[in-house]
Amino acid sequence: MRSSSAGPNLVTQESPSAYQRYHISTRLAPDLEKWPSRFKVHVRKTGLAKLLVKELIHYRGRLAPVLSRPCMYGVFSGPIGGFAPREHLCVGCLRCTTEFPDFVRVEHNAERRKLGDSYFTFNYMDAISYEASTGLIPVKGAGYRGKFGGEGWDGMWTDMSEIVRPTRDGIHGREFISTVVDIGYTPNFLLFDENDKPYGAEPHSFSIPLPILFDASPNHSAEKLAGIFALAADQIGSLAVLPFDEVLKLADFGESVAPVLLPEDGNRIHELDFNPRLIEMQGWDQPLFDALGERFPESIVALRTGFETEETLLQYFDRGVRVFHLLADLHGRSMDGRFVLDLIRTAHKRFVDAGVRQEVTLIGSGGIIAAEHVAKAVLCGLDAVALDTPLLVALQAKFNGDAMERGNSSFSFPDSLSEEWGVQRLKNLAASWRDQLLEVLGAMGLREVRRLRGEMGRAMFMRTLEAEAFADIEGYSGGSHD
Amino acid sequence: MTETFASPGASLRTFTGEQLIVAKHVANLHNGFAFWPRAEEGPPALGDYRWTEDLILATWLMAETGRPPQNGLEYKVGASGGGFDLLDFKFLPEDQWLPVGVEIDLSIPLNKRGEGVEIEIPIPIYGGGMSYGSVSEQVMQSRARAAQKWGTFTSTGEGGYPLSLVPYKDNIITQVATGMFGVREETIQYAPIVEFKYAQGAKPGLGGHLLGDKATTTVAAMRESVPWVSLFSPFPFHSVYSVEDHRKHVDWIRTTNPRALVSVKVSTPTDVDMVAVGSYFAGANIVHLDGSYGGTGAAPEIAKKNIAMPIEFAIPRVHKYLESENVRGQVTLMASGGVRTAYDIAKAIALGVDGCVLGTAELVAIGCTRCSNCERGRGCPFGLTTTDPLLSQLMPVDWGAERLSNLYEAYAFQLRDILRKLGLKSIRALRGRRDLLKYIG
Repeated sequence: MRSSSAGPNLVTQESPSAYQRYHISTRLAPDLEKWPSRFKVHVRKTGLAKLLVKELIHYRGRLAPVLSRPCMYGVFSGPIGGFAPREHLCVGCLRCTTEFPDFVRVEHNAERRKLGDSYFTFNYMDAISYEASTGLIPVKGAGYRGKFGGEGWDGMWTDMSEIVRPTRDGIHGREFISTVVDIGYTPNFLLFDENDKPYGAEPHSFSIPLPILFDASPNHSAEKLAGIFALAADQIGSLAVLPFDEVLKLADFGESVAPVLLPEDGNRIHELDFNPRLIEMQGWDQPLFDALGERFPESIVALRTGFETEETLLQYFDRGVRVFHLLADLHGRSMDGRFVLDLIRTAHKRFVDAGVRQEVTLIGSGGIIAAEHVAKAVLCGLDAVALDTPLLVALQAKFNGDAMERGNSSFSFPDSLSEEWGVQRLKNLAASWRDQLLEVLGAMGLREVRRLRGEMGRAMFMRTLEAEAFADIEGYSGGSHD
Repeated sequence: MTETFASPGASLRTFTGEQLIVAKHVANLHNGFAFWPRAEEGPPALGDYRWTEDLILATWLMAETGRPPQNGLEYKVGASGGGFDLLDFKFLPEDQWLPVGVEIDLSIPLNKRGEGVEIEIPIPIYGGGMSYGSVSEQVMQSRARAAQKWGTFTSTGEGGYPLSLVPYKDNIITQVATGMFGVREETIQYAPIVEFKYAQGAKPGLGGHLLGDKATTTVAAMRESVPWVSLFSPFPFHSVYSVEDHRKHVDWIRTTNPRALVSVKVSTPTDVDMVAVGSYFAGANIVHLDGSYGGTGAAPEIAKKNIAMPIEFAIPRVHKYLESENVRGQVTLMASGGVRTAYDIAKAIALGVDGCVLGTAELVAIGCTRCSNCERGRGCPFGLTTTDPLLSQLMPVDWGAERLSNLYEAYAFQLRDILRKLGLKSIRALRGRRDLLKYIG
């Protein structure tokens, strides 16, 4: 077993010199397969030919203005110029169609817009493609282009501070903001006996350097995926949550893989010959829970269950569960149709009301498909997210139909998918999303992501703000986003 | 009209190849800006939810004609499904409208404190900060010239004060931001208004960032930095932890230029009301709220959509709180960040501000298609958000100034029309009149 190559950014008294600032190594990892271009560029060839003739006469044979093209991006810079536009280079600036409206037409490529599914739409795909290719934060000019707000993630904004930064040593990577999160159990307080010795439950947790885990891919067909997930998780110091059988093949990554056990796997746990940091139990099974605790006392056993079990979460807590991996479907819905944002808040509040929130760890999956969703999910109460479909999109998966149910969704992958490329794409994605989390934390003046968890005072919800702003305006009756 | 080699008396041989190239594309672009708003269908890929194809084309048409479109283009609202787009006015029955030709006052005061220089602008709008480097010098000059013509203002942004702007100094706001780029004693002394930029709506809490490719030798010289090296404006002001610290900033400006009004530009956090009151007590004449959906420069996508609240929600919160603190009458409240049309301006005023600050609308008027490629390669392909010497010639100063002036004319026309239909003779009477709005969601 090898240890994680990127540990949490902690300084320990035992090894002060071992401190290394957490860093994810990014490298350009371009798409393996070309997706349809963003734009279609149509040039009416007779119109272009006439223009060239006209300009040759007009400019009396001076070629510089005649050959000067209305594109800075090379769309018309091929061997025969505008007669064969290289539309994969088009960025949609529309200068060409503005200059030559008679015979140049640029339109969105409908094929590109078919990428993804009804939830994971093409603009999310575009963002992840860029993030996984470069490891960078998407930056664009000209302000926001989308809808005003909406439901779910879009109906929420995060706070900022006018004068507070986490530190005063600058931003853009120079200041220190921790993204370390703890997975496990921490008692609300310690108990001491008459000899001042602590007794009772002791903390039992481990740390990962960012609040992002990789989750078992739903119904995938590419054999290499588990290995890619495990190796990428290992290199960023996180965890890949994988089916039990896959983990048995990946014992070399013991620090970085977490097996998911089904009840029927109970009689096979002896096949696991190392102590994973985390073991997930798919659904509640008391004998399996007890057996795992007995055989792997160093490991943390989590319950992997649907969000809709919120009513029974405290019962599982009473039975000893301290780490919950809560699942919505891949579109972020529970079985009763509620959205993951509300589900997270409800689950978090359940533990807050019971006075035990500090004692449990909540990990969530489903419907978290953009960098801002991570920040918002943590703000609403998760400790960490376990990504699912974004990992597949980072690996250029194509959706074979709508992918909503975990067990009933299908994806296909590039034939040339390699481990090296796949690992780099996931590392790039993690780096980009972590950097974007830092932007959100920095704007709020928070020094660590642990302080973001459940910090609802820093969340702004559309329905609340709109009601406050428009309540006394005629016709307003609660808004359009209930 | 732009002079080209084809102009009467011009000879082809007197023009360099570069001049011919620029002239060709300028003429073509101007033709295109005139063609598309009149075409039966616009460019298929133009527009988005906030700035629809119709809004962009209508702005082009207004910048050309000085009047709102009469050909069916939607010029009042976008398709964002919220905020200004779900508000409308409760106009009076037509027989109660004020007569056409009745004098309607659009002016607003920028200093209500009862001390210091009194400044009024004749229209309730001025231009927001766009720095030299993020936009071309030609764009800055066009904005300055239009501001001068209308007796209003435009802001330098945080990139220095090009010498070409000095002739317009009475209409230019000097911005002081965290990087202090281009902030000099004389640029503060030039200014009738000095604007502290604490934060900006498009990237709240994240400071500013000029990519290395745009930090050309001239830009770097203006900012007193190293060419081709990315420039960061750190967030926040490292000397400000409190209202008292901010007060020291205001005192510093007033010591350098006792006649200057002070504007404080802030973003829209949850406590934006407290921030506004704090700014007032620190001595600000103008509190400028910059909402999260605007911005003209490059910004992380995650910030634009997700950090801080839209301006439509911040305005009532601040207006009401200033009223409850009994200081609303002593401070001018301005709004920016997603103000796209004359109707947006009027709605913002009805929600509680005195006036609005424009950015993107001005760029659209001079040819922006909102393609979002401002930061890519050499910069804007239309010559706006670029410092590329060749590209920036695509936007001639005279043409830009005329377009912006026409846009102001069209906005003023519409604002007067709105007031007339509401039975109001002054834009000041519209402020905070939420009872004149209706929600149409």
